[in-house]
Amino acid sequence: MCGIAGYLDKGGGKVEVGRLVLRMLEALGSRGPDSAGVALYAERPGGELVLRVKLGEDGRPEMYVPRVVEQAGKAGQVRQAQQTAEYLWLTLDSREEPRQLERAIESAGPGVEVVSMGRQLEIIKQVGSPQNLDATYAISRFMGSHGLGHTRLSTESRIDLSHSQPFWAHGYPDLAVVHNGHICNYHKLRRIYEQQGHRFYTENDSEIIGMYLAGRLGEGLSLRQAMDASMGDLDGSFSYLAATPGEFGFAKDPFAFKPLLYAETEGFVAVATEEIALRAALGGEYEAREAQAGEVRVWQR
Amino acid sequence: MAEIDCQGRTTRQINAAIKEFIAQGESQVLLHNPAARHNLGVGIVQSARLEFAGSVGYFCAGMSAGPTVEIQGSAGWGLAESMMEGRVVVRGSAGNGAAASVRGGTVVIHGDAAARLGVSLKGGLVLVGGSCGYMAGFMAQKGTLVVCGDVGEAFADSMYEATCFVGGRIGDLGNDAVIKEPTARERAKLEALLSEHLPGRPNPDFKKVVSGRKLWNFNKQERALWREAL
Repeated sequence: MCGIAGYLDKGGGKVEVGRLVLRMLEALGSRGPDSAGVALYAERPGGELVLRVKLGEDGRPEMYVPRVVEQAGKAGQVRQAQQTAEYLWLTLDSREEPRQLERAIESAGPGVEVVSMGRQLEIIKQVGSPQNLDATYAISRFMGSHGLGHTRLSTESRIDLSHSQPFWAHGYPDLAVVHNGHICNYHKLRRIYEQQGHRFYTENDSEIIGMYLAGRLGEGLSLRQAMDASMGDLDGSFSYLAATPGEFGFAKDPFAFKPLLYAETEGFVAVATEEIALRAALGGEYEAREAQAGEVRVWQR
Repeated sequence: MAEIDCQGRTTRQINAAIKEFIAQGESQVLLHNPAARHNLGVGIVQSARLEFAGSVGYFCAGMSAGPTVEIQGSAGWGLAESMMEGRVVVRGSAGNGAAASVRGGTVVIHGDAAARLGVSLKGGLVLVGGSCGYMAGFMAQKGTLVVCGDVGEAFADSMYEATCFVGGRIGDLGNDAVIKEPTARERAKLEALLSEHLPGRPNPDFKKVVSGRKLWNFNKQERALWREAL
């Protein structure tokens, strides 16, 4: 099962994207109660890097805050650092290579993980329902241009924060993915990536999609081209959404095993596993269409 | 006309309310705020008219026998699944597996149908104003499937016996599907169907697709057939 949702404001301005994605997730809650998460995008006037760091897993997250801040400080100028529950939210000016910066921060302690990094992207996810996520992190107050959401029914890997979605494509700032389905050639692809030196953070097959897209984007492909290419390279059942600061799109496997609908108006694009999510979050007149088998669509902001 | 507001009611309460109104002799029930919820209007076995003022979710009007159901928005997966008789009309588009295993009655989709339309069709008429995805008509046994637009891959695969008409392009034909020219009588019938169910639509130049009947019974020595079918 699992439920995924996404929203893009075509005006590119600041809308209540947090509230909208959350509403959609709540409507999809029955598709998976194990964990919930969002990937939200907002332009920041200062253009500084924003990081969401998961603190250690031993029940004392505050213990790791000074070490993480110290490590981040070595790579740049820390502007703000604020702890909420299991996360440290950091903003900093840094010219450090993203992978190096990530490694430096993660050396602060076992279980410390950079959940998202980018100039616009912020990922917040945790075990439990979308309502819990909002109660802890006030997602519904987040203003931005677009976002993705995921509610999970775990099937083959652990239920914890790291195994939850959305996934940031580690090492590639601002690229996030949510996935519903199963990537059957995950182990084969994983071996290839591991031989290339990539680190996997989870046993979750969905993690590989972001890594795949990041690789393709790194080769110079556009997001659209990368997602088109994924149709041939990923095997299995999938509907996934991917986003960068400038683009937002979906892909559905060639057999249409997993549901996914989208609605587009002059003002917005909304995509969700079930129309029930669109109707719960968005009023007004619009038509929701089931994406066809093998369909890829990408919108620019 | 009886009216039900779906908001604030559970699916079971909505379906019970529909049945209660019909039992009281109401011939028309208007449902507000369906909000794309699943399993609405299922198992109705009387000839009442139900109208949904919006989109519905999965399995709407499934296992029904008799009602006329009109959906003003779109429909999710499994629309009118296993319907025995009656009429289901969707103004928008329908998700995967629409009209699967229908035994009788009419399903009209004004927009597009997604993948696996009318699989295992056992009777009745399925009419799509737009296009449909892959494997429509798979293993259909009886009935008529009409798609005014394009159809996807593996169209009419492994059919026993059913008649399909396609107005647009055929992605590719499934196993043992054969293209034939419609007869003059069939053309007249199609024109009449279109003007009845989708008035104002241009009448395309339909191709007819039927079963080649080679898979009905075949010799296991016919290896080429086995390879093609499996």
